[in-house]
Amino acid sequence: MVDDTPVATIIRPQIHIQNAVKSFSGRVVVDVDELTLGDHAIEGLIGPNGAGKTTLMRMIMHSTPLDRGTITMSNANGGGDVVISDLPTHWMAPHGLVKSNQVIMDFDKLTILDSMLLAIAQAKYEQPHRLFVETQVYDAAVERVHEYMEYFELGDPYRFAGSAGEKKLLDIIRCLLLEPRFLLLDEPTAGLPDDVTEKVMAIIRDLAVAGTSVVIVEHDLNVIWNLSDDVHFMAEGSVVMHGSPAEIRENKTVIEKYLGEGHV
Amino acid sequence: MNLDWLDAFLISGLFSVVVIVGLGLLLHLQLGLTRIANFGVVGFFGIGMYSFGVLFTKVDWPFGDLWAFLISLAFGTLVAGLSGLLVGWLIADLDEDGVLVGTLGFATAVFILATTEQDLTGGALGLGGLKFPYDVGTVKADEFLWLVIVSIVVALIFLYVWWVHRTPYGRLLIAIGGNEPLAKSLGKPAFRTKLWLFAVGSAGMGLIGALFGVMERFLAPENLGIDVTLAAMVALVLGGTARAWGAVIGGFLIIGFFDIIVQSYLPLPKEWYGQAIPNIKEIVFGALLIVVLLFRPLGILGDMRRDKLMRRVHG
Amino acid sequence: MLDFLSDSIVIGLTEHAPLILAAIGFALLYRLTGLINVAYSETITLGAYFGMWTNTTFDLNFYTVLLPAGLMAGLISVGTYFAIFRPAKKLNVGVLEMIIISFGLSIVLRHGLQFVFGYPVRFFEVPPPDTIRVLGVGVGSFRILAVASVALLSFLLYLFIQRSSFGLQIRALASDEDLAQASGIRPLFVTVLIWFIAGVAGGMAGAFYGVSSAVAPLLGWRQFLFIFLVVVVGGRKGLGGVIITGALTGIGLAAMTLQFGQVLYAQLALIVAFVVLLKWRSKRAIETAKV
Repeated sequence: MVDDTPVATIIRPQIHIQNAVKSFSGRVVVDVDELTLGDHAIEGLIGPNGAGKTTLMRMIMHSTPLDRGTITMSNANGGGDVVISDLPTHWMAPHGLVKSNQVIMDFDKLTILDSMLLAIAQAKYEQPHRLFVETQVYDAAVERVHEYMEYFELGDPYRFAGSAGEKKLLDIIRCLLLEPRFLLLDEPTAGLPDDVTEKVMAIIRDLAVAGTSVVIVEHDLNVIWNLSDDVHFMAEGSVVMHGSPAEIRENKTVIEKYLGEGHV
Repeated sequence: MNLDWLDAFLISGLFSVVVIVGLGLLLHLQLGLTRIANFGVVGFFGIGMYSFGVLFTKVDWPFGDLWAFLISLAFGTLVAGLSGLLVGWLIADLDEDGVLVGTLGFATAVFILATTEQDLTGGALGLGGLKFPYDVGTVKADEFLWLVIVSIVVALIFLYVWWVHRTPYGRLLIAIGGNEPLAKSLGKPAFRTKLWLFAVGSAGMGLIGALFGVMERFLAPENLGIDVTLAAMVALVLGGTARAWGAVIGGFLIIGFFDIIVQSYLPLPKEWYGQAIPNIKEIVFGALLIVVLLFRPLGILGDMRRDKLMRRVHG
Repeated sequence: MLDFLSDSIVIGLTEHAPLILAAIGFALLYRLTGLINVAYSETITLGAYFGMWTNTTFDLNFYTVLLPAGLMAGLISVGTYFAIFRPAKKLNVGVLEMIIISFGLSIVLRHGLQFVFGYPVRFFEVPPPDTIRVLGVGVGSFRILAVASVALLSFLLYLFIQRSSFGLQIRALASDEDLAQASGIRPLFVTVLIWFIAGVAGGMAGAFYGVSSAVAPLLGWRQFLFIFLVVVVGGRKGLGGVIITGALTGIGLAAMTLQFGQVLYAQLALIVAFVVLLKWRSKRAIETAKV
């Protein structure tokens, strides 16, 4: 879906996490000293349940406030460094930072098309006095909307997302429509049928080639091994190691703590 | 103009229907779409009414009545809008309980100020001296014309609300009402949106309050009771919170029933009208809120149908 | 200056003791069942009406009618739970709808009681209370009784919730209903108990309000905003927080009333202060969203 852009000219956005700590009722859930995401086009983030992966993602989006520490994004939209841990959640998307959700998140009263138009519509059109801009928004979006509708074989856009899988897919499509420069995916394939997973992964690859940095949290490790260029392993709230997929899947600690003997 | 065919009670009955429908429509944007329970409707209504009334009667206007009237009307609307901005800022990021406290607190504050600031408002005694910006002969004709004018204003409010459903702004309001965290993660400024929603809605409520005050001709703190908020809420909930037509249908049904049919056309004993009927009216209002929300939460009209609506809009 | 301070404290605590009492009851419901019950204001009003009715009908003195008034209000409170709130919960009514339903119930009760008790404002028929001098301020004996009731009720609730096995159940229920049920707690019984205690507290508060002025349909509603403010602001720290916030509110109201010479200004200042406080607090604690 994306043109082949010469790879050499791409400057990828990165996220730098420093001393980020979060605890819930006294229990430390995330404690990351120093971590840079975005060195590689697609990075995986794995670890046992309760390792703090989802919380770390939410801290990056600042939908979960940090107890202390800073998170910066470099080469964000418009260039330069942005201390995103100082910004409210709704400023992430304009800076090109977007996250899909682990749990199913949807707008019950909005149709599939509504959801997509909502993601695309610019803030200047969404004001109480802008009464005659629906056509403009629709015309500007219709091509991309149809592209996704057809690619994922969604059928009629004027209906509500039905199954859990469809809602999950819609969540990812909304993220893609925001044209992310840095995309966080929290278990994107959970609940999706295999053929849809394949299609999502193909888009993600294209996006990454075109310059978007992608971080995937996933329990389906085949996705991680196939897709990512680099894997971070998280346990008990901190990132304990990172390396190429091959290194990680053969690492003793990882096998002990997560994969279990005989998995490899 | 010969208005013998028109009953004076019918004018006042229709007038209260129109006023409550107007308030219900604005409440629909807040409660129905964005899911903010504004319990301070009467506060915005009241501050518009009093700001208009005080400016109009207390200032020695150097020019004609009509201009003085219009300027005062604009002032009332503006003050209500600004207070909406303030209240919106206070409550936009609070939970349901904070919203209840904030809006109810604002309505109480307006009531208190209307009572204590006697130099301006006349206190509990009230404020007289309001009049129509025209004179077309009889009181009845004046009132009828005013009913027509206010109906036009409310019709315009309806058009706006109806149209909002067909705009990206309406979509955003529904999104924030449905799942605010998700809307934020898509880059939508939920706080700012609620702020302006409150400012615009409150300005409208203030305008309606000022127009109401003109018909009353006499402003008193009794006009600022919770029954105004209740009536607007009942009209909206009965008709359907999620639909633009909801407040219109609900308002004509329930306010129309009590203020027109019961008031003028039912053969009820005269002595009931003093206390029993207003009392029964409130009981029915309260009971309707309970029954509708328990058994048909989306009112007569049911849920919004974006699937059909959007198909029509994009034709 | 010292006089002003002691006057404020004595007047504030004695005159506004019913506020603390009502706030304790409201807080029980709010904290333990998660419900914002606007109709709680009518529990208070009904307490005043029941007290007045028993007082004037059977010619009983105020001390005798206080407890029956509370018990009646408690029963009505439980009645509203079974008639409205329990069915509503079973129908999975949303938080926002629940508030509006309780608002509707509040209106129904407020106007319904006028059919039962008549439209004119009613009064307790009691001899003027004995005046006791506290720190140089004359205080009516009913108000002393109100303070004593607050102290007693708080103490009993403290014992009940912190020490008894029911209290353990209540706390378990508040934190996780399913888990509580699974571990053999009878949620229905405990919930009814909470509604009853809350009703008794509200009803007694109503009787105190009624005896110190008049009994009118809006009696409870006039206090509701302040009760709610006290509970929302102080409730986070448990019942202790409610009592302290209620006491400070009473003292603040008394001090400002003395200062401004107008109780309405005191109320206005209080509303503004509390809403700003809520806003300020929300700024510091950004919610943890599930996104």
